[in-house]
Amino acid sequence: MTVVSSAASHLSETVAERAVISLRGVEKHFPIKDGALQRVVGQVRAVDGVSFAIRPGETVGLVGESGCGKTTLGRCISGLAPTTGGKIYFRLGDDAAARLDEIEAIPEAERSQDQLAEIERIDAGHRIDQLSGPAWKTYRRNCQMVFQDSFSSLNPRQLVKDIVGRPLRVYKEASGSELTERVVSLLESVGLGRQHLYRYPHQFSGGQRQRISIARALALDPEFIVLDEPTSALDVSVQAQILNLLHELQQERGLTYLFISHDLGVVRLMSDRIAVMYLGEVVEQGTALELFESSRHPYTDALLAANPDISSETTEMKGLSGTVPDPANPPEGCRFHTRCPVATPACGWEVDDAVDWLQTKETLLGALIDVERRTNFDATLVFHDVDSAAAVTTAMAEGDIPAAMKGALANLARDGTKVRISLTPVEPVRLADVGGQHLTSCILHTGL
Amino acid sequence: MTDVVGTPLSAAPVEGPLAVRLRRFTDLARQVLRNKTTLAGLIVIVGMVLVAFLAPVLTTPNVPDPYQMPRDWGALNEPPGTPGHILGTTSDGGDVLYGIIWGSRVSLRLSVIVVSVTVTIGVIVGSLAGFLGGKIDEILMRIVDVFLSIPELIFALAIAAVLGPSFGNIILALSMVFWVKYARIIRGQIIHVKQNEYVDAARITGDSRFNIFLKDVLPNSVTPVMVQATLDMGSIVLVGATLSFIGLAEAGLAEWGVLVSKGQVGISTGRWWASTFPGLMIFLWALAFNLVGDGLRDVLDPKTESR
Amino acid sequence: MTSTVDGLPPASRPLVAEVKDLRVHFQAKAGLVHAVDGVSFEIRDGETLGLVGETGCGKSVTARSFIRLIPSPPGVYAGGEIDFWSSAARRKGEGPIDLLQIPQKEMLEIRGDRIAMIFQDPGKALNPALTIGSQMSEVLFQHRSQELMEAALEEDPPAILRRAARQQSSALERLLLKLPPWRGRMRRLSRRVDELVARALTETQISNPRKIMDSYPHELSGGMKQRVLIAQALACNPDLLIADEPTTALDVTIQARILELIAELQQRLETSVLYISHDLSLVREICDRVAVMYAGRIVETGTTKEIFSNPLHPYTRGLMAAVPSAAHKRGELAAIEGNVPELVDPPPACRFNSRCPFAVEICRTTDPRAIPIGDEHSVACFAYESGDRTELPTLEQWV
Repeated sequence: MTVVSSAASHLSETVAERAVISLRGVEKHFPIKDGALQRVVGQVRAVDGVSFAIRPGETVGLVGESGCGKTTLGRCISGLAPTTGGKIYFRLGDDAAARLDEIEAIPEAERSQDQLAEIERIDAGHRIDQLSGPAWKTYRRNCQMVFQDSFSSLNPRQLVKDIVGRPLRVYKEASGSELTERVVSLLESVGLGRQHLYRYPHQFSGGQRQRISIARALALDPEFIVLDEPTSALDVSVQAQILNLLHELQQERGLTYLFISHDLGVVRLMSDRIAVMYLGEVVEQGTALELFESSRHPYTDALLAANPDISSETTEMKGLSGTVPDPANPPEGCRFHTRCPVATPACGWEVDDAVDWLQTKETLLGALIDVERRTNFDATLVFHDVDSAAAVTTAMAEGDIPAAMKGALANLARDGTKVRISLTPVEPVRLADVGGQHLTSCILHTGL
Repeated sequence: MTDVVGTPLSAAPVEGPLAVRLRRFTDLARQVLRNKTTLAGLIVIVGMVLVAFLAPVLTTPNVPDPYQMPRDWGALNEPPGTPGHILGTTSDGGDVLYGIIWGSRVSLRLSVIVVSVTVTIGVIVGSLAGFLGGKIDEILMRIVDVFLSIPELIFALAIAAVLGPSFGNIILALSMVFWVKYARIIRGQIIHVKQNEYVDAARITGDSRFNIFLKDVLPNSVTPVMVQATLDMGSIVLVGATLSFIGLAEAGLAEWGVLVSKGQVGISTGRWWASTFPGLMIFLWALAFNLVGDGLRDVLDPKTESR
Repeated sequence: MTSTVDGLPPASRPLVAEVKDLRVHFQAKAGLVHAVDGVSFEIRDGETLGLVGETGCGKSVTARSFIRLIPSPPGVYAGGEIDFWSSAARRKGEGPIDLLQIPQKEMLEIRGDRIAMIFQDPGKALNPALTIGSQMSEVLFQHRSQELMEAALEEDPPAILRRAARQQSSALERLLLKLPPWRGRMRRLSRRVDELVARALTETQISNPRKIMDSYPHELSGGMKQRVLIAQALACNPDLLIADEPTTALDVTIQARILELIAELQQRLETSVLYISHDLSLVREICDRVAVMYAGRIVETGTTKEIFSNPLHPYTRGLMAAVPSAAHKRGELAAIEGNVPELVDPPPACRFNSRCPFAVEICRTTDPRAIPIGDEHSVACFAYESGDRTELPTLEQWV
């Protein structure tokens, strides 16, 4: 069996008609436990409804800052963490995907038995949490991962030969001297050599350890590799080496990559298509060119503005102010509106935003005793005394609350120490197409 | 200091797997022995173990049971320096030197058996709890909590008392009680090690849970257990001596605690040797293992250096 | 971004600090590691100097040497000096002090007061067991006790109060201070401190300082913690702020805000900043001048504009070509081959020679010296020496 298959094997004609990984409404929630009995009091919605597909041979970049859910999503896709909602498919054919689209468009109650059976059949063959036996093995062999921390992703007590050769041993593909030779060939394909076989990870530099990780990932000749911030911990010159290597390997072996990173410059270089994540959702998605030259979401714009580009002369770095919402209780509307510089009244202002704004008015915050919440958009604020209540009412009516929030204020009424506020409720935002597979969830661009 | 650069790879010669592992071991050993006190402790231990092994050669074994102190009714309470009894005799004519030498055998047997058994039980229980987590973890840890709620010494005492006075029962009692700390130690380490990405990487490789435990989790979790085991080799003998001192071993046993107890009576009348020499041995044994254990800890787990 | 102080361009401003041939070595098992090996640069009044380099180049060690934070075994200050002119000294026309030579007592007075430092990981720099307010007030008690007393207490406060203001009360005194005649005064003192702390926090654009002062570090986000540390560093209006990769641990959108903040505060307080980073693009945004370090030595110094438009040293060029940008194509990032050399008892040579595609014999045998090129730009590379061209390297376009 040849060690390095040509690019063709992973990209043959039949293969081109399927996606490697398909995500449909994927959710990953973590329970929040509290109290002596550790009861579940809430859920951290780390990944909250993500759908996209990764096609053979391409590199999809997943970009976002800390807490956006990209690493969690990467772990779900690589099978390390089970999803709590939605589905992840492996090698789902295009026609099967189309069938799923059709059937899922029909409300659940109206689907026929045949249709339900069809979904079950497709699921059984492709959903990674339902695969078993040989199908699971195929998925497991073809879906590999390279981690961010090159130090903690290699067992410090194992020799390089054992680390890189382990996948071959697990699947009983080789042993003894044949195994050694395969490992040497893998090491050489990542720029290391025979002399590195019998060494421990701590004897290598960060860049070399990352090469070892990559060699390990390539051992079984996989189709797809999740790269979770593979160069974030490396120096610039080493990063360049590793990125060049990753590209070379992709060309040689027809690999498909999911490239997770917070570094826009790197993602731009390495990706064909990019998805931008914020607080568990994809806010914009499109080709690298589209996103960088004509971005259609204020968060993407903010990321671009905050990332200094070494080649440009005239950028001024701009950051974002405002607080990130609680991932256990995210806004029903656009999750970015609390920090968005161009937010509108229709972006989903909630009671929580009003309370947060009060935080900036020290004296007024102290006077707030209780919030009687009817919905996220309608509540009564109870204050300590009438004066504070009056001050708050005036401030909200005439004062310095953000114009967008003011625009969303449907009703503001004071009764003694209680102030009833209600804001216009909104529908949850959805990703919509703004031109040839370029998706965004910002209503300024989608007009929804 | 993250700015200091280490040595690159190119300079080192190419070695095979065994040579590499051997060198890692010898490097570690050299590091441990660099510490003078650790070295001293190791020498004492080696000395004592040798004495224990050579007991039948160094003395004439008592018949029928060499572990019983010989009684020489013609030489009661002889002071040290008497011909034939360098360290003196006890109140029933037992040679103190004999007692010390055979006592070291008893102590060695005690510590090796108890530490082996407790480490095994503790590691198994702790590993199951730490690696499998969930309900199993909770159940096992509650059992551990029950054990911990009773002071170890009293617990062992109670068991030994119930089983009857014999040194074998002391060994049994200690084995039943002292495994708990190993369970906790290794559980803590496993939970910590499990979070490393190389464990995730092993899962992605597709290896079985058992293999992952054996190859990735366990080897990286055992160092604190090794340190604790070394320290316990010393302290178990102390505990055993305590129990036998208060009479839970057979009377007349050639064991340090029994001897100390026997010789107690004579102290007020100036007959210090029958208690002091065995007592000194207990002290030396415990001290030696403590020094080696500390030395090991400093090398294997530098964050908890005793300095 | 060029800042001007008193309308003077950078080159003619007075010096705040001058590092002259600094050498810091570390005793390792294998030998003596020359972590910093002959580093020289200047920091001028009101400017931001960027010290750029990759891991292991010695930039952190250089920065920490300013306030002698290098642990003494295994580190040793093996040579050179760090001359420092405080604003008071400059006003009086006095000469500089050598930070490496002054007695410990004097260094303690300077640290936190005249020279302040902020570090990479804000989480590790804050005491998790104290509230923000109490941690910050320590700095003020240490260095501003005179001011505090004058503002809060009567004309000539008794010794016991003076000691309290400097946090030097004995246990007995602390008990006494809880009693009525002293209690009121202590309260006034605390209130004054709190006011100053709140003011320092407001300067860093924190909108609710009182709330922050009562919080513990774990309750704050990374960006907020870094703001607190900046506030603490600037509380005594230092002459020099050393920032060691202060935004590496933060998200990009927060990073931009923190840098905006540092720049704004620097302008207002007229502090000079020594900014350590590995990120070239960041340095381009915020520094007036840049010094590039490699393997313990400075390879190039110049204004930001000069360095980025006309990089001279092969390493600088290679580094810039390695940063992914819009101009690059996939797989074609300029990768500098090889690794950083070991710095254990190194022989005289250009440290970059093993990785430099233009190296010739002289590069392997002689230490290069800094050659001035035009205004404000110097490079340590034999390619720029004048002399027999056959023995010197020639540079081409970096591939």
